[in-house]
Amino acid sequence: MIFSSELIKGTLKTIVLKLLADNKKMYGYEMTQRVKELTGERIQLTEGALYPTLHALEEEGMVTTELEYIGKRVRKYYKLSAAGKGRTKERVNELADFMETMKLLLDIQPKTA
Amino acid sequence: MYCITDEQIEYILSDIRRNGVDTEDLQLNLLDHICCIIEQELKVDDDFERFYHATVKRFYRRELREIEEETINLLTYKNFYAMRKVLIACGAFSVFAFISGSVFKFMYWQGASALLTLGIGSFSLLFLPLLFLLKAREAKAASDKFVAALGCAVGAMFSIAILFIVQHWPGANMLLFSSIAIAAFVLLPAYFFTGIRKPEARMNTIVVSIILVGVIGLQFTLVNLRPSRSQQKIKMDNYVQGELLLKQLQATPGSKDAAAIDALCEQVKALVLEHSIGQRSIPADYEQTQLLLKEGSLGPEFANNGSGVQLLENLRQAFGKYTAAGGNADLQQIVSRSILRTDPGEMEKIYSNLSVLESINQLQTHLALAEHSKAVAVK
Repeated sequence: MIFSSELIKGTLKTIVLKLLADNKKMYGYEMTQRVKELTGERIQLTEGALYPTLHALEEEGMVTTELEYIGKRVRKYYKLSAAGKGRTKERVNELADFMETMKLLLDIQPKTA
Repeated sequence: MYCITDEQIEYILSDIRRNGVDTEDLQLNLLDHICCIIEQELKVDDDFERFYHATVKRFYRRELREIEEETINLLTYKNFYAMRKVLIACGAFSVFAFISGSVFKFMYWQGASALLTLGIGSFSLLFLPLLFLLKAREAKAASDKFVAALGCAVGAMFSIAILFIVQHWPGANMLLFSSIAIAAFVLLPAYFFTGIRKPEARMNTIVVSIILVGVIGLQFTLVNLRPSRSQQKIKMDNYVQGELLLKQLQATPGSKDAAAIDALCEQVKALVLEHSIGQRSIPADYEQTQLLLKEGSLGPEFANNGSGVQLLENLRQAFGKYTAAGGNADLQQIVSRSILRTDPGEMEKIYSNLSVLESINQLQTHLALAEHSKAVAVK
């Protein structure tokens, strides 16, 4: 089963930040492939959501970029900035807490119903 | 792995551009991404174009430019928060600077005018335009944007008019009148008719419109409080009477020093009159010609080291010399209570044309009296 894009939307920034924390530098296509691989193709990052998020993270100063020229095309690598490293920890912890709470919430609901 | 050619890269890039992606950064990102997919997934014998179009379709729901729109949305959404912070900081600063400037002015402390200019300046040129940008984003209809723009522009104009009034800068009245007129005849109808059409905003629109009418009306009443023509005529008559009295007193010629002071006084009065009525003296038939000396500013000669400032400085020195030489303590006290106690460069900000004319007349009258008593004593 592939997770819906609504579920992924709220966690996309955290996924990208965590990917960059675990890998020195990555480009867009590489990220989509890595996520597919790590989740057994259950999470597929769409290009329409990934690139706006990457641009927003760059604007916020969470990531820095590096260009690599491959013939006629340019590859843009993303790296975590110092601020981004701090933010990654916060966001990962927040998401972990959120998942715990959701577990609790969703376990309780059938009993009360 | 499929080997992508330069022509194919060009083809993809121009297709991305044609589909409305204008941000260069995003174009390059998408290009590299598509190239990667093609290199990984396309078989050597497959049709490039068909595969490319099938691939790029996965990127969007309706059209490719959605990605660009989403990017811009995310970026401006972030700016939106930054702008709101700047708006609040700027508003708080403006109000603080303006109020402390008013207190400084009230207490005659240094820096009042800088604080007022800074406060009102940042309020009208930074705070209000920022407010408009934020409101314009929230507004959906073009008419709502227009009302927001007009409201902020009138607000800015009104606050700048107030700044001009307190700083005695030229053109203050014109600015104030124009902003009140635009508020009454353009802003108010535009606001009322755009708001009244929306059922959910109807009550609010009516209440705010009434408040606006009230504020504009009050402003107009304030502007209208200027003295009537008959009151101004009485003031002018008083001044002319004073002049006549002075002429009678001056019938007996005084000392050379006194004559020099009188000459300076006449020059100052001539300069003030020239600015006020366009003539260097009040003609005898002023009543027939309905010439009116209105109370107003001193004129540009009395600011920024103009000829009037120089004349007043000379007059102050001449009086100082006269009273010191004659040992006339009474006259010395009279001078120290007259407009000459003020720094000539500051007079334009403090006194009106009439108050300077009257004060100089009084000084001349006292001088003539002093000369008269000197002559009597000699006899």
